[in-house]
Amino acid sequence: MAQESTPLESKRKRIGGDLVIPLAAVAFTIYYFSTIIDSPWTAQVSAFFVGTILIVLIGILGVRSVIALKKGEADLGMETLLASRAYLSRRLGLLALTVGFIFVVDWAGFTLTTFVFLATAMLLLSEGRNRRFILFLSAMLALAGYLLFILAFETRFPAGPFENLMKQVL
Amino acid sequence: MEFDPGLFVELFARTLSFWWVIIPAIFLGLVVGAIPGFSAANTIIILLPLTLAMDPEIGLIFMVALYASSRMGAGIPAILVNIPGTAGAAATPLDGYPMTKAGRGHQALAISFVSSTAGGLLTTILALLAMPWLSQVAYYLHSVEMIVVMLFGISLIASVAARDTLKGLIAGFFGLMIGAIGADVVYATPRGTFGFLELYDKVPLIPALVGLFAISEAFLVIEQRSIITKEGQALMAKAGWAETWEGVRIACSKWWHITWTSIIGLVIGVVPGAGASIASFVAYQQSRTYSKTPELYGTGHVEGLVAPESANNGVTSGTLIPLLVIGIPGGATAAIMLVVLQYHGVAIGPDLFLSNPNLAYGPFTAMAVTYALMILTIMPLARYMSKVTVVSTVYMTPVIISFTLVGAFVSREYVFDMYLALVFGVIGYIARKTGYHVAAILIGVILGPMLENYFLRALRMSQGDIMVLFSSTLGNILWVLLAFSIGLPYYLQYRRKRRRQATA
Repeated sequence: MAQESTPLESKRKRIGGDLVIPLAAVAFTIYYFSTIIDSPWTAQVSAFFVGTILIVLIGILGVRSVIALKKGEADLGMETLLASRAYLSRRLGLLALTVGFIFVVDWAGFTLTTFVFLATAMLLLSEGRNRRFILFLSAMLALAGYLLFILAFETRFPAGPFENLMKQVL
Repeated sequence: MEFDPGLFVELFARTLSFWWVIIPAIFLGLVVGAIPGFSAANTIIILLPLTLAMDPEIGLIFMVALYASSRMGAGIPAILVNIPGTAGAAATPLDGYPMTKAGRGHQALAISFVSSTAGGLLTTILALLAMPWLSQVAYYLHSVEMIVVMLFGISLIASVAARDTLKGLIAGFFGLMIGAIGADVVYATPRGTFGFLELYDKVPLIPALVGLFAISEAFLVIEQRSIITKEGQALMAKAGWAETWEGVRIACSKWWHITWTSIIGLVIGVVPGAGASIASFVAYQQSRTYSKTPELYGTGHVEGLVAPESANNGVTSGTLIPLLVIGIPGGATAAIMLVVLQYHGVAIGPDLFLSNPNLAYGPFTAMAVTYALMILTIMPLARYMSKVTVVSTVYMTPVIISFTLVGAFVSREYVFDMYLALVFGVIGYIARKTGYHVAAILIGVILGPMLENYFLRALRMSQGDIMVLFSSTLGNILWVLLAFSIGLPYYLQYRRKRRRQATA
């Protein structure tokens, strides 16, 4: 049985998500400082100046968050960042497809990878509807990309079977 | 270098006769400007064999037309899909995209086209009239003065973060830290590179731009059927020529705004290495500072769109001045033009204006003709271009991701840059979802390394004496103006609050 949230709980601000960027910034700043600790002053001066201000600002945000938590005005919920499960799964699927696109493009080439990426991403987002149209559109777009980027602008994009075949044909 | 109106009219008519070169260059420039990563400079390099084979005058006209139109092209995706084509258009979506979301995309495009054209035309004429004096600007703006100019741009971080200043400042300083990645300029010590050789030469701008704006936007919009609101869709369905002309009328009514923000672009453009990104941020920040309605900026405010668009087109003529007068290119595209002219044996410098006025004044008349032809060719297309915003996000999202990743790749041709764009995309997505402004991060990434360069240069020249920052008269005047422009909005806000309390 799903538990309904009380009015007080629903009024609370979910600030867990708000802390992700500051935490990442602090982690990065500490890492950055570790890489320049033995460097000449020219490499240190700007970073120490900017990094120190950043950490102070994040400290102020931290204090603000703790006060809000203590007063019961906020909790560490992540709802602002994590949307409903339907969108979350689509978003993660799209992210996985994007990583796959970059990983595969190196050996499968631009045109084929773009076609597969466009078709699978569109099918994922449309929940499998309009399959024929999506396949046709993906093929046309991948072909247009090949004509524009590789033939017209001569971009040295990783070549795959399709590009190699076209090179021999043209 | 005396200005002769008769010569200008003759040159204008002569340049107009090369419309057959200018119009294809305009369309090519609009396309390459609109795709992140395909800058005018890259395209001119690709077409170098063609331009080298042309007569130098025609070659120069072709390059100038492509350069000017790519500036305008960069604003189109920035307005319609929140993806700036170049870093120079990074301030354009701040108000352009909210207009699109409200179903006023075609109007925003019309405003952008008029602002760009008017800004470009005006600064071209000013450049012609004041070339001898403007060419001296670069001599007066040294490292110290440039530090203050950069700070004008960086102070925009506080402006864009008006809703939550603390979060805005965190985003901006996080961007500055990311911008500090790479080898330091003096001893080449690697800093914060995570061991990646690809990051030794700083964080490349295009993957940052693609990730923070395009990829994060793509991951966000899948929650909606279309990028525009329901009310916006209704407005778009009814939109006709009348709305486009209304956009033209609105832009024309902002003629004074266009004038002074484009002059900011012209002056910054004259400084070698400065460029459109600084100019558009500074113009946006100044526009907001002196506005009677600063609270409307970021919500689809016309002045917030006019300012960056006229400024980044003002830069275009500015970059050509040091090239033609003293032989120092003001930017990457101007540097390539220099190569082409040198290939043809053209000696750049003040003598060129006497020995070959067609070639010396030619780039400016070519720019004027380009802007005149461009507004006529592109304005009727505004209505049709804006239709892209009604395409379902089911189809739009994968196209944005795949084609902008290509853009991230082409600037350096590293697969690494596509992964980098994805990382920035994740940062941008989290930032947007949790109220950290991505534009503030981007301002830091773009302006941070430039500020550090000028700062270190100033410190090295003064042997580490920090007081060098207050050692020049012009620099001190700029410091006062900076303090004034940062303090003024708070003072005006305080005064308005007092007035409201008094009337209540």
